[in-house]
Amino acid sequence: MKKPIAAILANVLILISAQVYAAKPWNLKHEEVASFEAKVVDVLCELSGDCADNCGGGKRVLGLLKADGTLHLAVKGGNNFAGAVSDLIPHCGKSIEVDGLLIKNPLATIFFVQGVRTGPDVEWMDAKKFKEDWLVANPGGKDPWFRNDPVVKEIIEQDGVFGLPGVEPPAQ
Amino acid sequence: MKFTRLLPALIATGLLFASPVSATTPKRVTVTGEVIDTWCYVTQIMIAVGTAHHQCAVWCAAGGIPVSIRGDDEKVYVVLRVEDDGTSNANPRLLRIQTHKVTVDGDLYERDGVNYLLVTHVADDQGIVDLNHERFGIQPFGK
Repeated sequence: MKKPIAAILANVLILISAQVYAAKPWNLKHEEVASFEAKVVDVLCELSGDCADNCGGGKRVLGLLKADGTLHLAVKGGNNFAGAVSDLIPHCGKSIEVDGLLIKNPLATIFFVQGVRTGPDVEWMDAKKFKEDWLVANPGGKDPWFRNDPVVKEIIEQDGVFGLPGVEPPAQ
Repeated sequence: MKFTRLLPALIATGLLFASPVSATTPKRVTVTGEVIDTWCYVTQIMIAVGTAHHQCAVWCAAGGIPVSIRGDDEKVYVVLRVEDDGTSNANPRLLRIQTHKVTVDGDLYERDGVNYLLVTHVADDQGIVDLNHERFGIQPFGK
């Protein structure tokens, strides 16, 4: 008898986790938690008609186009110092649900993607695919990615942390 | 001419003008300002300009956070294209000009609270001019 109850409870928990994704507030100015359905679009294509296959295949800035025509710029994903393109590009041209933070700063309205799912009965995925993709591109790459990325390292070694060759931070 | 005979022509015209994307007309602009990391600057979570923030700006551009120009008019212009290069995500060229003060000509699209800029010509690159690291150190968390 205990087994069926446990199974029912497990199914209920799975169902609840599929329904709810709690975006984590960052207490940023102009921030609001937002969850909505939108189509993943290549922003350059959406605005100008300059389109590329598969939304640019990960090389272009992506947006979230709601049914009412509102376009939100996807700026950040769940990994440190990384955007949301890796999380969104598999869904180019498709409708998905996103959960995260909408920052309505008068300077710019931007969206921080924290969770993605492909339908109401599908489990939410954390928007942290950037790191997975980075490890594929940089096998054996060490944490944190941003200090060990080969392109970043080359630029910082060449120009220094301030972007001024030869100017070093004071010893701590 | 009967309507039924006009119909195929009307349909063909409609198809001609029906576009899968909602392209709008841009405004020609010249923008002078600093190349910045959009996330840190818009969220105001740290000092996000100048030499103090240079390293973080490179990290964020490499991570695929959109790159913008903070104009001298204090507006933020999200860069979607630079001349013939439509690569706007982690573009090595954009990584290498983080924090630079540039003057660019381009097409501006304003949509839902964002200024999107398609740079058609980089007219000037002054390099890094905001030397604020002595005042603010390294943003966000040291070396």
